[in-house]
Amino acid sequence: MRFIDSTDFEKLLKKLSAEGELFVPVKEEDTGKLHMRRVESFPLPDGTVFDGFRAVETLKGFAQHLRFEVAQYPSEEKDELKPEDSFPGYVIVGAKGCDLKAMELVDSVQAEGDYIDPFYKIRRDRMLVIASDCSECSESCFCNLTGSNPWPEKGYDLAIAKVASGFLVEEGSERGAGIIEENGGLFSEVREGLEKTRDENRKKVLSQLKANNKSYPESAEVTEPLRKMLNDEIWTEEASRCVECGACTNICPTCYCFLLFDQKDGEQYKRIMSWDSCQVSGYSRMAGMGTPRPRLSDRVKHRFYHKYDYLPLSHNAVFCTGCGRCIDACSASIDMREVFSKVVTKATR
Amino acid sequence: MKNPYYPIDTILEDVISETPTIKTFCLKPAKPIKFKAGQFMQLTVPGVGEAPFTPSSDPNIEEKMEISILKTGKVTDALHELKPGAVVGLRGPFGKGYPLEKLAGKDVLVVGGGVGLAPMRSLLYALFNDPSKYKKIEIKFGAREPAELSFRRQYKEWEGLASNISLKTTIDVAHPDWDGHVGLVTTLLDDLDVSVPESYALSCGPEIMLKFVTLKLLEVGFTPPQIYLSMNRKMSCGMGKCGRCNVGHYYLCVDGPDMCYDKIKDVPNVFG
Repeated sequence: MRFIDSTDFEKLLKKLSAEGELFVPVKEEDTGKLHMRRVESFPLPDGTVFDGFRAVETLKGFAQHLRFEVAQYPSEEKDELKPEDSFPGYVIVGAKGCDLKAMELVDSVQAEGDYIDPFYKIRRDRMLVIASDCSECSESCFCNLTGSNPWPEKGYDLAIAKVASGFLVEEGSERGAGIIEENGGLFSEVREGLEKTRDENRKKVLSQLKANNKSYPESAEVTEPLRKMLNDEIWTEEASRCVECGACTNICPTCYCFLLFDQKDGEQYKRIMSWDSCQVSGYSRMAGMGTPRPRLSDRVKHRFYHKYDYLPLSHNAVFCTGCGRCIDACSASIDMREVFSKVVTKATR
Repeated sequence: MKNPYYPIDTILEDVISETPTIKTFCLKPAKPIKFKAGQFMQLTVPGVGEAPFTPSSDPNIEEKMEISILKTGKVTDALHELKPGAVVGLRGPFGKGYPLEKLAGKDVLVVGGGVGLAPMRSLLYALFNDPSKYKKIEIKFGAREPAELSFRRQYKEWEGLASNISLKTTIDVAHPDWDGHVGLVTTLLDDLDVSVPESYALSCGPEIMLKFVTLKLLEVGFTPPQIYLSMNRKMSCGMGKCGRCNVGHYYLCVDGPDMCYDKIKDVPNVFG
């Protein structure tokens, strides 16, 4: 572990910005929320915050773009995708524990197994992640219930924790170690007591999370009760409030579903990949208009089951890291934690 | 790295009208495509989009491929308008294909309805490759009306291939042009000439048909592990990534589209 002063950290970021597009969390004055903003010149923008809690934007959006071209046809032998056809790379600063865990989960779908999405893989391989500790949590945060923590545990190149006039820095990859080595002059020994300060900060945030979420079940306790509730009226009740906007899935760091569609472009055709949402009625509609989830309650239910029942069976993990974005985004105030409280209570009654 | 979303340029060489609503599209892809019976392709109509289809042709032929398609939606409407010489695109194959290795030495019951006969023809070609590998090949085909029975020109030839092959057909309701069996395809399952404990049943058709075929098969003594169903869901990426073709925790595009009923029998509303 090393220490870096805030001014030197900015110098480091300036240097790293040569390795790809640099994004940092910036606090928006009117809402108080953090948004990932591209830094194209220095000094860093006013309101840059490296602690706080997770930004509105997920890491997923960097690896799986909202909408982009995946193929042009007809053409000769364009099925070989060269890395240089793709992206310059990203340097992303301020990713939190919940987002690192989410990225690991989406990686297991998009970048592992028999088929690998080359676009996702290239972006992931070229993503330098400097993660950071949370110094607070939002009302909607519940990482503590999902086996995550409000600090980086793995899946980063460097991890920083704000202490005193700078940051404690830990390496999490060879690339991260190389950065510390190459820029040795910017770092110093960790003064006595700073690690303790960091650990106390962590403890403080974690106990706040525990206090906020004390009445809600842990994710690991949800799957079994959920399986007993497939035909329960709870889904109709939740669906009666849902406005089918798809915000919960679009904002989710582990929702990876997408749509492929084709467009004409002069003499050529383009194939576009776009995020999609299982909450909207056309999502699974087949030719002839049949759909396996015709009712909104089927679709509302599907989101919970996909994350907490199906993916644990197919990918061995609950696909929720407790970031709480779906709770913030829902205009009908559907709170996943409350849904699961009801599920567990009813199922074990 | 290969781009799995890129469609291979494919020439439409011929179009055969099978029924008033089903056409067989004879395709020649720019490079050979090796597939197993039951695996599916994503077929692109340029500018319109792509849709999933299981080939209806012989899986031993890699240079050409036939796909028999019902006119029923945006992509298929556009396909039915195409004339020989048109350029389309193919991606795939995707999915697992039929469990041919399990069928060796068994009685094989093939139950198809409507456009569900299309993937079944590919399965039959695979079985006919060496009919002696199976104890019996019993085929039951149904359609709404006589004109909707695909591949009728081939039935006689198939039955004559080997003595262990039989084929029975039915139409849903009586029709002046029909003097054969009348009734849903499930009615052909009442007097099966197979040894049920030594059999596998494979079925493809509309979901409502699959439901009643399954119920009938269970009634006559089949167990869920002996039943394979070609399930219908919207499949897009073909690689278990885009999310929409799930049946419970399975993605049909990688785990199916032919699913052993034993795996999916507890999924609520599995037949829609």
